[in-house]
Amino acid sequence: MSSWTERVREFGLRNLPPEKLLPDSQPAYMTSAIYLFGALTIGALVVIIASGMILALKGPAWWHVASVGHFVNSIHLWSVELFFFFMVIHLWGKFWMAAWRGGRARVWMTGAVAFLVAVPCAFTGYLSQQNFDSQWIATQGKDGINSLGVGAFFNALNFGQMYSYHILLLPLAVVAIVALHILLVRRHGIVPPIPLADSVGVAAPER
Amino acid sequence: MGAIVNLNGTAHYVHWHFFLMSVPNVVVVVLMLAVFTVALFLRAPGARRPGGSR
Amino acid sequence: MNRAGLSNAELNDAARNYDGPYRPYDIVKEVCVCTGVVALIALVLAIVFSSPDLPPSTIASWSRTMPTDFVTTALSELDGTSETATYGEPYNHQSAFVQKIWFIDLQKWLGVSHPVNAAYDFVIEPLRMIPDDPSLQSAVSAYKDAPAKTQNAWTTAYSSALAKARAKLDGPVTVPAGTYGPVAPMMSSLLALAQSGGLDGDLLTNKQFFQTDYTKPLLFLEDGNALNDRATYQHLQGTQWGMMNETGSYPGQVWLWLYTFWYQVQIGGLGNSPNVDAIVMAIMGVLSLAFILIPFLPGIRSIPRRIPIYKLIWRDWYASTESTPDAGPPPGRAPATR
Repeated sequence: MSSWTERVREFGLRNLPPEKLLPDSQPAYMTSAIYLFGALTIGALVVIIASGMILALKGPAWWHVASVGHFVNSIHLWSVELFFFFMVIHLWGKFWMAAWRGGRARVWMTGAVAFLVAVPCAFTGYLSQQNFDSQWIATQGKDGINSLGVGAFFNALNFGQMYSYHILLLPLAVVAIVALHILLVRRHGIVPPIPLADSVGVAAPER
Repeated sequence: MGAIVNLNGTAHYVHWHFFLMSVPNVVVVVLMLAVFTVALFLRAPGARRPGGSR
Repeated sequence: MNRAGLSNAELNDAARNYDGPYRPYDIVKEVCVCTGVVALIALVLAIVFSSPDLPPSTIASWSRTMPTDFVTTALSELDGTSETATYGEPYNHQSAFVQKIWFIDLQKWLGVSHPVNAAYDFVIEPLRMIPDDPSLQSAVSAYKDAPAKTQNAWTTAYSSALAKARAKLDGPVTVPAGTYGPVAPMMSSLLALAQSGGLDGDLLTNKQFFQTDYTKPLLFLEDGNALNDRATYQHLQGTQWGMMNETGSYPGQVWLWLYTFWYQVQIGGLGNSPNVDAIVMAIMGVLSLAFILIPFLPGIRSIPRRIPIYKLIWRDWYASTESTPDAGPPPGRAPATR
């Protein structure tokens, strides 16, 4: 009986051999610029995390008192705007390609979940600003959160809790889901084109 | 704070019936639609028509 | 209807494997270049536009610039009519802001997890901590020991008087003479404490030195108009599609458009429902689930085939394969390893 380690290794190698994980070729149908937007989204996520780590180095009050801190905060805010900008265009492209075809439903689903987890991650970021905007968002957001009982354990008015969610728990969740999404993409390959009506052949019965 | 363009002034709004969006947000949405449309027409760098092999 | 002649299952089978030509591709370089490009764009945007940072309101700034509003709010905390005092779970057992959908009352079922007693937390306890003022302490004791009917008479009289109050910035609030009992000295002492900055500290750290939970000072601020007036000016109100907006002229959270949409449209009087937040959350929950499950939703998953934007995306590929419609893709360089 093989060990856990052997089983994990074999699972990994079976699903993601190195040439699939890091290929040096791509299908010839991938000529459109729309294919860049996944990588641009990843790039934005990298910049968000890097700028966020610098902000975390000096603590949440730094950006109010130091102009370098304010500059890093600006990079963090604009990279969040860019993240959603590129992610939504990536989503549009994948929708119009029906990219869930051919067993790729989980690729679509993990992508959708990544978007849905990124939204509360951004929300806790806005709550961590420690300025007027965060005061307003906290006092307004609490009503929606309380209405479903979630306020019992997730308190938008508790800065310490929101900051912990923002710099640790939710980024970990986003990164984990994005990593799974990317590994599934590598596992299944990029979806081939939708067959043109002319090139398919005889019409099949409707199902 | 040291910005070249100061965006701290009051925003302008696009108001049509119940639709009310700030001009900066409208700009973002318009840019997204424009970039998406342009991307549909452009080729990725290094791509060329797959008429044969490289 | 299936004009293309393929069922959904056949479409899936056709997309499972690809046996056609490949071309060279540097995945690591692509991700690095894209990261560099995004970093550059973010850098330029940060240099050109910076980011907004409106200073927070404090109870001190609120009580100094809006003294009558502060006292009106403090009175409503004392007599139990403020939003916080009447809110319900998770702060107390009232019900003015408890929402439910049909019989599902999660807000109530999950109980009072963050107890706030408005009269004690915002008025009586802070006043109790003011040293060296025996007449104030007598007034507080007199209020606490009075029967509810008497307390109500005092606060109602004072509330009516506040409508005719005069106040100076940074100064006291003066009301016409009347029978207010101990309420008048309590309110003026609380105002002085707030204007000195002491109430901000009291509400935050009176139970423990190290504190990051701003529940009490934020609830107290929100019960007044300090935050509200600033939010209206910055177009952040719910009626102003505020959820999507940022302060100033910065772009905001455009991705929240569909969430805030339901507050703006009067479908079935939704915007005026006391349960609007819960209903909107539920709608967004259902739509989010549908979004995740698009691959399984007939009709929705066929939209890309019916509106053929894909013909633009893969136009090169179709052009290169149209000369041999039944033979499949032309031969090309197969990848070294697959």
